[in-house]
Amino acid sequence: MEKTKLSMYQLYKDMLDNYLQSKSEHALYAAQQFSKEMMEKDMSPEEMVSLHMSVFQEMVPDLPEEVVDSFDLLLEVMIGYGLAYREHQSLRDRQQQLESELNVAAEMQQTLLPDEHIDAKGIDFGVISVPAGKMSGDYYHYIQDEHGCIGVAVADVIGKGVPAAMCMSMIKYAMESIPEQRLQPAALLESLNRVVERNIDSNMFITMVYGSYDPRDHRFYYAGAGHEPGFYYSASKDTFEELTTKGLVLGLSQKVTYEEYVKDVQPGDFFVLLSDGVTECRTEEDFIEREQITEMIRKYQHLPAQDIVNRVYRELEKMQDFQLRDDFTLLILKRDV
Amino acid sequence: MNLQIDIKENTNENLVSLSGEIDVYTVPKLKEELLPLTEEQNKNIIVDLSGVHYIDSTGLGVFIGALKSADQSGSHLKITGVNSRVRRLFTITGLDEVIDIEVNEREEA
Amino acid sequence: MQVQTHVDIHSEWGIVAARQAGRKLAREIGFGSVDQARVTTAISELARNIYLYANKGQIHIEEATSSGKRGIKIIATDEGPGIKDVRRVMEDGYTTSGGLGAGLPGVKRLMDEFKIDSEPDEGTTITTVKWLR
Repeated sequence: MEKTKLSMYQLYKDMLDNYLQSKSEHALYAAQQFSKEMMEKDMSPEEMVSLHMSVFQEMVPDLPEEVVDSFDLLLEVMIGYGLAYREHQSLRDRQQQLESELNVAAEMQQTLLPDEHIDAKGIDFGVISVPAGKMSGDYYHYIQDEHGCIGVAVADVIGKGVPAAMCMSMIKYAMESIPEQRLQPAALLESLNRVVERNIDSNMFITMVYGSYDPRDHRFYYAGAGHEPGFYYSASKDTFEELTTKGLVLGLSQKVTYEEYVKDVQPGDFFVLLSDGVTECRTEEDFIEREQITEMIRKYQHLPAQDIVNRVYRELEKMQDFQLRDDFTLLILKRDV
Repeated sequence: MNLQIDIKENTNENLVSLSGEIDVYTVPKLKEELLPLTEEQNKNIIVDLSGVHYIDSTGLGVFIGALKSADQSGSHLKITGVNSRVRRLFTITGLDEVIDIEVNEREEA
Repeated sequence: MQVQTHVDIHSEWGIVAARQAGRKLAREIGFGSVDQARVTTAISELARNIYLYANKGQIHIEEATSSGKRGIKIIATDEGPGIKDVRRVMEDGYTTSGGLGAGLPGVKRLMDEFKIDSEPDEGTTITTVKWLR
């Protein structure tokens, strides 16, 4: 420590000497580099002021008293800045620590999502879910039973970040506790609503859309709990139709009933489920209209479902300058044949 | 973006006029101002959203909290001045069936 | 003989008096100008805390020795409301006074040793030492 102090003293003295003689930009540049080194060595502002003063006093021994004394005041002021600097360093360390904790939590959250692929003849499935921050308040789910029936869901917890993510895990466990209702969208939402209502803060709620597809009769049953409407694409008509559902958000009141809807699915038809992070995308000056999203899907619709959702995401991400304001989930279920 | 909250308290009616955006950033302030009003007994709380052009889901959460709290204290919450974008949000979430929302024909600002 | 100074804090004048006494003793013990300013700032913060939260209390300043080391010890005591959550006030970024205070984490950083005893409704004692290097 003493040794580095001594060499710093000499270094600074040479630098100051050089500058006073040459007044060159070169010497000032050296000072800028020096300051980086000092910060790496944790040298505080008050120590810097004191170093300057002692070097200067040695170089110019007959300084007027006022000049010397004035540095007392500067030193006193710099103590405060020094403290702020150290506090900043320690807060930065703590932030790194929090960040790594969040990374672990985010990895855990990933494990809550289904990981095996849907592999059913005549079905094309794709999903993408990207959190705005590290953790997501969106949840998606898909499952395939022994008859080849497929259940799909997208849920959105109010807000985002850690509180939303904690709520999201509740949805996952609640769904697992009612496996028998996997293919009955309305009944499933009713059961989920009861669980959520008991376990959620009064300012929170969850929206969800649930659909189930039966490949034996090619019918798609669905119900929604206050969720952003998805789309139904009809291949024969070549049109997108809003997948409107009527139903209150989950968690608001104990007894809620949900209406179940059904669609006959023809070859080439597909369903788009999404979270409001998709439709609430905001560009610099405006919101993205729902038609823009269907246009994008149309543009990629010849591709496999997974490629469609990936490309739509990439396009929307770009439109928003790569800053997501909300968690983003987009899911497509398509009947191929 | 900011949210302006203007409160007029009368004997049996509180009028809360909002303007700006109701989102994650402005919600804590709104909650702090709105919730105490809904805890007063037997009052009408009218929230005027004429100046609000954007609400996100956390914003809806505040109104749900306010609704629950108003119900408990025998007060009544009413929302007025919703534009089409905001109204759509109340409709999608089904909240238009549980919250008293005055429908007036206001065009998008 | 050990030098001891005792300053009652019940106004901003007391804060200045405590600073003055601390700086004087720090200089006599042989601290350099940077450390003198640090010790003084620490005393200032402790005295301000007493003045702001407990209204009155004492700052006690003395020379400290331990196995050949010399230093300065400051003890701040008050019988104020005490600190409910010590862990919280020792966190960086937490300041209740808003008075640009460095707060207790700042004092801890300025000094070498720092000990805090606080009981709600009984008061707070903070003992802190800086050693001469």
